[in-house]
Amino acid sequence: MQFKIASVDSLIIYFGNEITQDISLKVRKAYKSISTLEDKGLIEIIPSYTSIFITYDIFIYDFNTLKEKLKSFINIDVFDEVAEKIVIIDVYYGSEVGFDLEDISKKTSLSISEIVSIHSNKLYDVYAIGFLPGFAYLGNVDKKIAMPRLSSPRKTIPKGSLALADTQTAIYPQNSPGGWNIIGKTAMELFDKKLDTLSPLSVGNKVKFNPITKDEFLKQGGIL
Amino acid sequence: MSLEVINTPILALVQDKGRFSYTSIGVTNSGVMDEYAYFIANNLLGNELNTNIIEIAFSNIIFKAHKNTTMVITGAKCEFFINNILLNTWQTHNIKAGDIIKIGKILSGSRVYLGVYRGFNIKKEFASNSTTLKENLGGLRGDKLQKGDVLDFNSFTNSSEVRLKEKYIPTYEDILDLRVVLSYQDEFFQQKQIDKFFSNTYTITNEFNRMGCKLDGEEIFCDIDGIISEGISFGAIQIPKDGKPIILLKDRQTIGGYPKIGSVLSIDCFKLSQCKPLQKVKFTPISLEEAHKKVKLFYSSFII
Repeated sequence: MQFKIASVDSLIIYFGNEITQDISLKVRKAYKSISTLEDKGLIEIIPSYTSIFITYDIFIYDFNTLKEKLKSFINIDVFDEVAEKIVIIDVYYGSEVGFDLEDISKKTSLSISEIVSIHSNKLYDVYAIGFLPGFAYLGNVDKKIAMPRLSSPRKTIPKGSLALADTQTAIYPQNSPGGWNIIGKTAMELFDKKLDTLSPLSVGNKVKFNPITKDEFLKQGGIL
Repeated sequence: MSLEVINTPILALVQDKGRFSYTSIGVTNSGVMDEYAYFIANNLLGNELNTNIIEIAFSNIIFKAHKNTTMVITGAKCEFFINNILLNTWQTHNIKAGDIIKIGKILSGSRVYLGVYRGFNIKKEFASNSTTLKENLGGLRGDKLQKGDVLDFNSFTNSSEVRLKEKYIPTYEDILDLRVVLSYQDEFFQQKQIDKFFSNTYTITNEFNRMGCKLDGEEIFCDIDGIISEGISFGAIQIPKDGKPIILLKDRQTIGGYPKIGSVLSIDCFKLSQCKPLQKVKFTPISLEEAHKKVKLFYSSFII
């Protein structure tokens, strides 16, 4: 763990400097332990791939006091993986919503059904959330279907689109410009004011994609 | 019916101190850009410091009051009229049902704050009234104020008026000094780059909004192109590949992958938010200890 100043009232803890499952696991364990503190002096806690950013109340903490407290509190050397919530997301992997499926099929010489099975068989980790509210960066996608970002981003990617970039995958929680490859669509809300938690996903959750038919997708309120 | 918007304002947003503890799911802090003007407004009204307010950029907004209240205008120097009579800002005014309130031209600064006694009765979204347009959260409908919108408040009749002492009314400087705590990826900037950063003046560009402020001037180079996305603080200074600094403000993205040389003091970002494109800024280093003292002093002065 390396502690660095971020600003007058924030610090950042680094757990490594590459995107690996091992480092992400350390981040998630530390995030969990910091969250359980329920410390009023900690205002924002943002976990990401290799780091945790914390904004603190400067009337309660200074950098060194908080650093020492967190150092003694955070335990990342626990080997057993903590039970993590699995969120199942139904996805319609069809060409009319998965604009780039055919292109990926050509580039990888895999059939669309092979791509779907490779993508949906894996249990993904939520590494980070950002870019848009509820936009969860999930990994790692099997290298067989890893795809670079599009050379020119689309002006609008429809809300609910399932996307792929390199070995990461994500769902666009709202209409947005974007450069990721689109391979399917869900009717599930990823960011919704009506949800108590705003988003069904948080760092530390696991995600499983469940392929559904066009009819099921439409029945769930999906839009083609 | 309490305060009705009767023209089409360019950009007027309901704001408060901000929305906290949702950055972990990508929801930004939002909140007033200039906390100084905001806290003074609430102090003058005798409100709790976190009471909501209207933040007006680009001026020209007209309201009709349908109830009595006490109102205050702070922030940018502007033409402020009640029933076509030009009045002082940074002081409270008693408003009667039927009064027409107008903010005309902005004369210096860029954001005006309009508050009323006890604030507006608007349901909070995730513990805040702050409007974030890109998230469609807060305010009325998650949107900016429009013609016909009505902001409800509790009727209040008072006769005394309170004004801020002249010496506390800010004058917006020609070259704004922004104090910086070196932080984040500072070790990836060579001394020559850091010296350049602190010895040049920069110009505010048109890319200046509630998310951030892009500067033009001497390019700063970092030894690394990008970093693994990580949490971004208020005031963080990103140095993208083109070498031109970007200061991140209230509606900033929560995580990002550009290297950061340091962070501008929050209290200096409040002054920055009253600047305009083409205005000049310069950076001065400050130690974390000294920065803590300055920021604590700022917040302590508003506790009644």
